[in-house]
This record gives sequence, structure tokens and C-alpha cells, in this order.
Amino acid sequence: MFGEMSMYDFIRGPLVWIAFLVFILGTIYQVVRFYRLSRPKERYQVRVPFGKPPKEPDESPAEPELTWWQCVKLSVVGVNPVMVSVTTVFHLALVLTPLFVLGHNVLLDLAWHASLPSLPEAVADGLTMIVIAGGIFFLLRRIFVDRVRAISTAYDYVVLLIATAPFITGFLAYHHLFDYDTVILLHMLAGEIMLMAVPFTKLVHMPYFFINRFVLVHENTLGTGGSRIWR
Amino acid sequence: MSSNSQAPINHEEVRQMLDHHQDKMKTALRVCAHCSLCADSCFLYHVHDKDPRYMPSHKVINSLGKLYKKKGKIDRAGFEEISEIVWRRCVLCTRCYCPLGIDIPEMIAFARSICRSQDVYFQWSDLEQPAE
Repeated sequence: MFGEMSMYDFIRGPLVWIAFLVFILGTIYQVVRFYRLSRPKERYQVRVPFGKPPKEPDESPAEPELTWWQCVKLSVVGVNPVMVSVTTVFHLALVLTPLFVLGHNVLLDLAWHASLPSLPEAVADGLTMIVIAGGIFFLLRRIFVDRVRAISTAYDYVVLLIATAPFITGFLAYHHLFDYDTVILLHMLAGEIMLMAVPFTKLVHMPYFFINRFVLVHENTLGTGGSRIWR
Repeated sequence: MSSNSQAPINHEEVRQMLDHHQDKMKTALRVCAHCSLCADSCFLYHVHDKDPRYMPSHKVINSLGKLYKKKGKIDRAGFEEISEIVWRRCVLCTRCYCPLGIDIPEMIAFARSICRSQDVYFQWSDLEQPAE
């Protein structure tokens, strides 16, 4: 089937479909797997056999009231403001930029006559630089901050490279730095590798962030407090 | 930290315990982004001058993570090291915070269960007595 196909044609053709299929099916697999490993929280509710339990007198001392600013200072945002800010901006830019970059939408329009709205090129370029800067921040943090270095392995550096490579190569391609044909090929390949890596590497924290934060019931659940617990 | 027994580790029993919870525990280990944001939520980390070994993720990776990585094939000395982590470096106060929502205390508790199954556990008599 691929006998006459060049590497370039393979990377810009079938591999795109393979990458999206692996990404979508892999993510669905992870979500379904989570639902099989968990159950609705109602099943853990305590049943009282003989009416309501007597209400115990509340003798605990009143908790001190905190201002909203004190709450923020005590939260992870207040304790690690730089890291939380950088990681939030990095992840938002990482997800949104590829969706709204002009080049991708032109390709979509050519293929399907439909596309998402596009960001001005300068804005997309700025967001790309934000992702690259965030990647450099995480890299330096991993090398120079004791507590991060203590739990870092070669795998962490590879995952960071997988996540940022599409943006580094995209930046190089947009600015026509180095040989364009090679760089754009590497850009496509890097994007495809990242998509395929999401469900099966540490990048699985992408879907699991939402599962852990909004679906699983635990002390730090956001939103409505979650609906499921592990079996 | 002690073993009550010098019997060899029953690797089959350890492997069965690991297998029984592997989907959930391996998922949690994989989801951990090694970001270290859990560090400041541990009072022992602060008490020990921010020694990274007291960071919740460091404790999980080097106890339960190690057990899964080696498929339970760890000798008694290795189990002693793990028990040092899960009892002496963690009091299971359940105050640790993970931005990705990983249930760190549950993982430490599971590592303790595996240690106990091999007769490796914390003994209060091992504690250094304060000077008179």
C-alpha cells in the first residue's frame, strides 16, 4: 500500500489519520477504562437501619473566618504563584494555538471546506513563543530546582520534548529558519507523535486532569463535587 | 523500622496484591506529572528543611512506584527501605495536595499494606528514646 509513497507523503497523509485515530480512540479508551474502574458515589452512602441517627451536639470551636485573600494565600496559587501562572498559561496556549492557527485552518478548509476561526498570525506566533518559553521554564526547573530534580527521570525530559517539539518546529517553519521542507516535515511528525503520545504516556494527565478534578469525588474536587469513586 | 521475620519475601503474594490494584495505581503513577507542587502541602517536608525525600510524590514514586517498576521483586532490605519511607517519612495525615487530584495517601496506605503482608512494619520500640 505504501510501496510508492515517500516519507513526506506518508507523514502528511496516512500518518495524520493514524495519529488522530490513536489520539481519539486512545483517549476514549482511557475514559471508558476510568468508568469501568469507578462507580457512582451513591453506592458508598451509609444506610442508617433504624431511623435517623441522633444529632450530636456541635461542641467544636467555631472555625476562624478567613478573608478571600487569606484563602488564596493558603491555596496552591498563593504558595506557588509563579509555577501556577506559568503552567496555566502554558497549557492553555498549548491546547488553543494548534486549533486556531491560520496554517492549520487553511489546510482544514482545503480538505473539508470547513474550518475554525483563525487567530491573527502575530498572536499565534506569540502564543507559540509562550509555549516554548514555558517549556524552557519547565526544563530549567527540572534541572535546577532540587525537589523537581529529585523526581525527574529521562522519561520526563522526553515527555517535555514531545509536548514542545511541535511548537519549536512550528516556530522555525513559520519564520523560515533552516531548511523549510525539512522543518515542516519535522513539524508534522512532531505533532503526530504528540497526539499519539497523549493517551499512552504521562501526557495522559490531559484527560485525567478533568476526570480527577471534576468527576472523581475527593477533597479537592472542583465544580459540583464529583460523581464517581474508585471501585 | 523492623521485620518480624527473616523469611524470604513472598514475591508471588506481593505480585498478586499489586495486580489486584494495578489499573488504578498504575494510572495514578502515570498521571503524576512530576511537577512537585505537592511538596508544600506536606508538613514533614517543611519540618525537614524542604528535603525532597519528604515530598509526597517522592515518597510514592520510591515506594509503590518502585514496587510496580520491579513487579514486586524486591528483597527484604528493599522492603525495609520502602517501610522507612511509608512510615517514617509519612504519617498519613492525608493533608497532601495534588493539582491533578491523585490520591497520594491511598497509595502510601497500599504500600504499607504490602509491607505488612511481608511482616515488615513500623515498630514503636524502634523509635529513639528522648534523652533523660
